[in-house]
Amino acid sequence: MTIAATAGRTAINPRAAVLAYLAVSGIVLLLMMLLGLTMRLAQAQWIDVSPDFFYVVMTMHGAGMVGIAGLCSAAVMWHFVRRHVPVSTAVFLTNLVFFLIGAVLILGAGFIGGFGAAWTFLFPLPAHSGGLWSVNAAAAYLVGLIFIGVGFLLLHLDIARGILSVYGGLGAALGVKQAFGLAHGEEGPPPAVTASTMALIANILGILVGAAVLIISLVNLYVPSFTFNALAAKNLIYYFGHTFINVTIYMAVIAVYEILPIYAHRAWKTNWAFYLAWVLSTVFVLTVYTHHLLMDFAMPTWTLVAGQVISWLSGLPVLLVTAFGTLTVVYRSGLRWNPAAALVFLGVAGWAIGVIPAIADGTIAVNSVMHNTQWVPGHFHTYLLLGMVAMVLGFMTYLTNPQSRYGVAWLGYWLYLLGGVVFVLAFLSAGSASVPRRYAVHVAQWLPYDRIGSIGAACAIAGVLILIVRFFVGMRTAASAQDPSG
Amino acid sequence: MNARLLAAATGSWLVLWLPPIRHTLESDMVLHMAVQVPLLIMLGVLVAVVARDREPRWLADADWLGIPGIVAVVLGTSFWMLPRALDQAVSDPWADLIKFLSLPLLVGVPLGLSWRRMPPLGRAFIWANFIPKLGAIGGLYLGAPTRLCAYYRLDQQELAGWTLIAIAVALGMTWFFAAFVGWTPSCAKQSPRRSGGFLIAAVGGN
Ligand code: HEM
Repeated sequence: MTIAATAGRTAINPRAAVLAYLAVSGIVLLLMMLLGLTMRLAQAQWIDVSPDFFYVVMTMHGAGMVGIAGLCSAAVMWHFVRRHVPVSTAVFLTNLVFFLIGAVLILGAGFIGGFGAAWTFLFPLPAHSGGLWSVNAAAAYLVGLIFIGVGFLLLHLDIARGILSVYGGLGAALGVKQAFGLAHGEEGPPPAVTASTMALIANILGILVGAAVLIISLVNLYVPSFTFNALAAKNLIYYFGHTFINVTIYMAVIAVYEILPIYAHRAWKTNWAFYLAWVLSTVFVLTVYTHHLLMDFAMPTWTLVAGQVISWLSGLPVLLVTAFGTLTVVYRSGLRWNPAAALVFLGVAGWAIGVIPAIADGTIAVNSVMHNTQWVPGHFHTYLLLGMVAMVLGFMTYLTNPQSRYGVAWLGYWLYLLGGVVFVLAFLSAGSASVPRRYAVHVAQWLPYDRIGSIGAACAIAGVLILIVRFFVGMRTAASAQDPSG
Repeated sequence: MNARLLAAATGSWLVLWLPPIRHTLESDMVLHMAVQVPLLIMLGVLVAVVARDREPRWLADADWLGIPGIVAVVLGTSFWMLPRALDQAVSDPWADLIKFLSLPLLVGVPLGLSWRRMPPLGRAFIWANFIPKLGAIGGLYLGAPTRLCAYYRLDQQELAGWTLIAIAVALGMTWFFAAFVGWTPSCAKQSPRRSGGFLIAAVGGN
């Protein structure tokens, strides 16, 4: 079922809108990476950053990266899903505008107001700054998040509207019938539709929960006597935060389903296992967040046990069908590797590898030792930096003239890959040596990890810079071009 | 049919106004907020169903995409959510009469008229705003350090908080499951595939 989307209905060129998303994403990604490098260099004691400012940078890096991960992966999702269902370009752009307003508020809260309570804004920390930031700065941060949430809510609701108008129900769009053998796998919805459906289910529910806790936090800021159960607030925040960042991978992975088959000249085959995996991961992604609370002894034990088991299972179904599908598409296909194909392929590998230390950390016995160590940024940077971001960079390369100037793109690719590997391995090995995370000042024994990590990060950023500059160079022709798929 | 609906709405309004019923429903915070107020709004919606065919054109035109009407709904309901306003309604029959008139006429009627004009995305967005706000207000009732209404006890306030949270969760789940199976209310069945299923749910169809 293919629909010429909104063609003719709107004056805004949808392709240009996607490119606008990616242009903003490219710039913000680079800036946030530089903030990350600043932290790493400060921990390495190669530059001097005051601890107060370190936490501002950490908060901005965390919030900025999570937000931009959502934005760029939403661009991937929207670009492909609009081939199958009618969606509105105006709503898509509205999300970008809301995002930018939210980003300005958040950056203002941090760099002008000094807000440094981490991107997770755990209640009641925003209201207890110890004099480091004002109530207004904390409120600007929370309102910024609300803006971003509202934008994404609109976008997902619009895609839901489009999907419902074609498939009737979200269950049908997810491929529930195919998953349980009630219909043929080949007749199921296209992978882009299935993935978008899971993303919208998870994110809409997450945003509703997030909105409630944001309102409560805002009231608490201005009327501190209105308190809220801190553990309940933590549950709600992670329900929203974990789901949001987790879903970025499920949106970005659409790039793999759509781009690899083009270069490999082989269709991405869907069968019952594919749909079953997506159905299972939809359920898991909504219930897995309790692994963030494994250290909270006041949580009912059963929730933590469930958190552990679901953490093991959560990403696996989709990851397995995607990794298996990727290998079957590529194997003996005669694919001539180019940077776009290599990047999306790397994305699957980075995701698969990053999940292993994540599963380890989702185990209660391991978590009680590793939880607050750099093992945690180690695993999530693996599947975000080398997984999700790789898929998005692959999409950007694919859109902007993939035929020529491969040389420089390959240079970018290898710098990014090798630098990224060194950077995440430095985090993981520091974590296994019990180096704590979120420490502004490191002791001498930890410095080797920090320094190697800094070098890796600098190389990775140089690689990403090359790929993004190349994207900007190709953008003008890309705006008017057809998809490489024809 | 229309006359009967109007008579039923007026009759129900009078029944709700009868002192024993009125006092019973207002004696408890949960009954007041979660039963009496929604019932009064529903009566207004019934009136809107009757008034729909007679609605003057200029009003329909002025109510662009249903936005002014829904803004009136939001303002009206927000006002009657203020603890002070509820207190006033309990203590002063005149204030109660204003509540009895304003909820059906300034909230229910615009809801019944404007909701249909709203595009599916707008309706979904309103739902998506309403549900977390209900939950957040419930949460605040639980976290409030003192009584918010002079006429209700702390335990009633707590029960009201939990009730609002329960309603928010129930609405969220219903919304989700309706979308999942593609359920569309009969009044919106005209073209469910084109118009976006559950998103047109609730008051009035397309
Ligand atoms: C080369 C690129 C990057 C560098 C140099 C970098 C560096 C860092 C550093 C040094 C930390 C703090 C570690 C600590 O707790 O000691 C951090 C935390 C974090 N990073 Fe990155 N990062 C990069 C890319 C990314 C990407 C691509 C994402 C997500 C898409 C991301 C998301 C986060 C998040 C969510 C945190 C947690 C902040 C917190 O603890 O509150 N980073 N990063």
